[in-house]
Amino acid sequence: MVSLREIFSKTDDETIAAKETGSPSDGKKTLKELKVGDTAQIVGFLKQNETVQKIEAMGLRPGKKIRITQKLGRGILVKTNNSRIVITSDVAKNIEVK
Amino acid sequence: MSRSIKVALAGNPNVGKTTLLNHAAKTNLKVGNWAGVTVEKKEGFLNYKGHDIHFIDLPGIYTLEPISEDEWIAYNFISEEKPDIVVNVVETTNAERDLLLTTELLECGIPMIIALNMSDEAKRIGIEVDSKQTSALLDVRVVKTNGRNGDGVQELLDTIIECADNPKPPKKITYSVQVESALAAVESLGHDGALDKRTLLARLAEGNGENQEKQKLENFFKKDIKSVIKDERYAFAHGFYNEVFKKKKNTARDITDRIDKIALHPIIGFFIFLFVIFMLFKISFDFSTPFMNWTEGVITNLFAPLVLSLLSNIGAGKWLPEFFSQAIVGGVGFVITFVPLVGMIYFLLAILEMSGYMPRIAFIMDRFMHKLGLHGKGMIPLLLGFGCNVPAVMATRTLENKRDKLLVMAMIPFMSCPARLVVFSFFAVLFFAHPAVVIFGLYFLGIAIGLLTAFILRRTAYRGRLSHFVMELPPYRIPRLRTVLQIVWVQVKSFLYRAGTVIFAASVVIWILLNTPPNLKSQSDSAAAYVGKAITPVLAPIGIKDWRISTSLIPAFLAREIVLSSMGTIYSVNVQKKSTKFHFIPELENQVKQLGEATKSAFESLVTPGLQSMQTEEGDQGLRNVIRSSFTPASALSFMIFLLLYTSCLATVAVMAREGGKKFAYLFLVYSFVIAWGVAFVVYHIGMLI
Repeated sequence: MVSLREIFSKTDDETIAAKETGSPSDGKKTLKELKVGDTAQIVGFLKQNETVQKIEAMGLRPGKKIRITQKLGRGILVKTNNSRIVITSDVAKNIEVK
Repeated sequence: MSRSIKVALAGNPNVGKTTLLNHAAKTNLKVGNWAGVTVEKKEGFLNYKGHDIHFIDLPGIYTLEPISEDEWIAYNFISEEKPDIVVNVVETTNAERDLLLTTELLECGIPMIIALNMSDEAKRIGIEVDSKQTSALLDVRVVKTNGRNGDGVQELLDTIIECADNPKPPKKITYSVQVESALAAVESLGHDGALDKRTLLARLAEGNGENQEKQKLENFFKKDIKSVIKDERYAFAHGFYNEVFKKKKNTARDITDRIDKIALHPIIGFFIFLFVIFMLFKISFDFSTPFMNWTEGVITNLFAPLVLSLLSNIGAGKWLPEFFSQAIVGGVGFVITFVPLVGMIYFLLAILEMSGYMPRIAFIMDRFMHKLGLHGKGMIPLLLGFGCNVPAVMATRTLENKRDKLLVMAMIPFMSCPARLVVFSFFAVLFFAHPAVVIFGLYFLGIAIGLLTAFILRRTAYRGRLSHFVMELPPYRIPRLRTVLQIVWVQVKSFLYRAGTVIFAASVVIWILLNTPPNLKSQSDSAAAYVGKAITPVLAPIGIKDWRISTSLIPAFLAREIVLSSMGTIYSVNVQKKSTKFHFIPELENQVKQLGEATKSAFESLVTPGLQSMQTEEGDQGLRNVIRSSFTPASALSFMIFLLLYTSCLATVAVMAREGGKKFAYLFLVYSFVIAWGVAFVVYHIGMLI
């Protein structure tokens, strides 16, 4: 059974990621590492796939300025221009930012 | 009469296409599925200034490169059915993003009208658009609209007609020199006449046969052809945006960000969600109860005596008044009593949806759902399930992953819908001291069984890592009462339609079976009793031993509320008729006065904390008393649980078969029967011990 404390705490993804690699993606900073309130600019994507195609169409493109407005569990709320987009951390770790 | 003009509405999600269509075609929508989540194309017909306009409202898409199923629907329509005109609805405040789709639509070469929607909102936050320049640059017509109050809709209709009378394709987009020369080369290879740009680009990307251009371009740009084309499109959209959209310094503070600070707060946000759900149920129960009592009063004290006295005046025989009071009032009238409740639930769900809060629930709940192996986006179909399981199953199309989709689909039928609530609220009031507690318990039992189902499926058929989550949160908007009421009306109409057709037919069939063979001494010798007794052995272990109940369950497979209408028909035969004098005018006055009182107590109930409805018991005491005599509290509870869990709804099974495959739907049906029977059995036997 999942305890309430466990639910409010860190997600599986975070614990898995912490175990998997000490330094994520050869020194490149990804969106996943940003904290609530941080602003950054998207540099590019580490891998190309369908999801990248979709989030690009939604407005998360290289060159775009973004701001992290909230993080809940694996979800990250990103604001760019006038849109607010929720992506999960597995998507965020594919987005390089500076 | 001219031929009809086929107009497709295309645009990004949440830009207000459906609202625009509602303004244009009024309530004349052919398919009225859930608003907001357009997952199937909707159609509207309109005759305007002598022209027939046939609107097709497509699901919202970001790009013509489809991934999820709703996106495919939109894509196929544009690329294969070729509408006469495309109305590209652009959310002016987010135009930079929306223009990618515009670019792709322009490539298709279909005459286009750009509707710059939410232009008032754009003005407020300092975005100005040069619509004349847009029109000149692209050779398309441009109209500024406002979905909220319908401004510009008239002009849009005029423009559609003008465009249909004088159709011209939009200006051809010019990409970079390299790409254009490659496209020219590809075109010269083909022998099938002039092609639109999109087809040419697709051929270029395929790059087979004598077509060497793909390779050349990839070598030149040093990236794969898909990225080359994509970047060209983005470059065009971006350049165009900078040309015609001017953004002044934004001085207005964004209300959405400020609300989200609280509504999406990690802890406060969760409690707000719980509060919202609690209020959803409290308001739908408490507010509608006085009106339900009133409707029942009107039917039994005004409508029924009126018709009966008319019938006796014209000298109708014995069977006609009997048929009327048993099949019509007892059966159909009984179900109609619940219209206020059904309407209220749809009213609140529509507000939740249109205010922009619904997708936020997916974000708030994903961290909990995720722990259970479920996708946060699945919350939306599950919540819609409390309205009606059918559109909820269709809403699973927004989930991109087949596994997530089937998982959510297997949970939806356990979310209790108003049709079930109708039955629960009747039985709970009849057999339990605290009916609200019982009803809430049943709702939670449904949710628990849904979660259990998901839990089992995640460990057996649908293993694997949970897929990612990408979703846009629209800005908060105040829902327009008119649009909300339109949605409520479409749903209430379909409820009434069912009452007038399936439920009516079922009541008539049951009434006939009850009276076959003719001149029976006792109802328990009738054909209806025979059928009911035949299936009683299956239902007896869960406490359903009376043939009158098992007979009612058979037609209930069409729709659950038929249980009540059937019972109403069967039992009303046994009810002693009250012979009171009926005077139409005083009774009418009385009912109008009652409506005033019902309204007053409905509003009063809103300010009292906690759930308090369903404490009153009035109206058709006779029928209630006979039904009470054939159940014990334990068997009533077991009966409600059985009805809650067994997918006793033809429409839901049919839509599940369409969305998830026949095998999936039938297996699920068997599963739901087994689990319904099992839980009812356990509860009944525990109940017997107490």
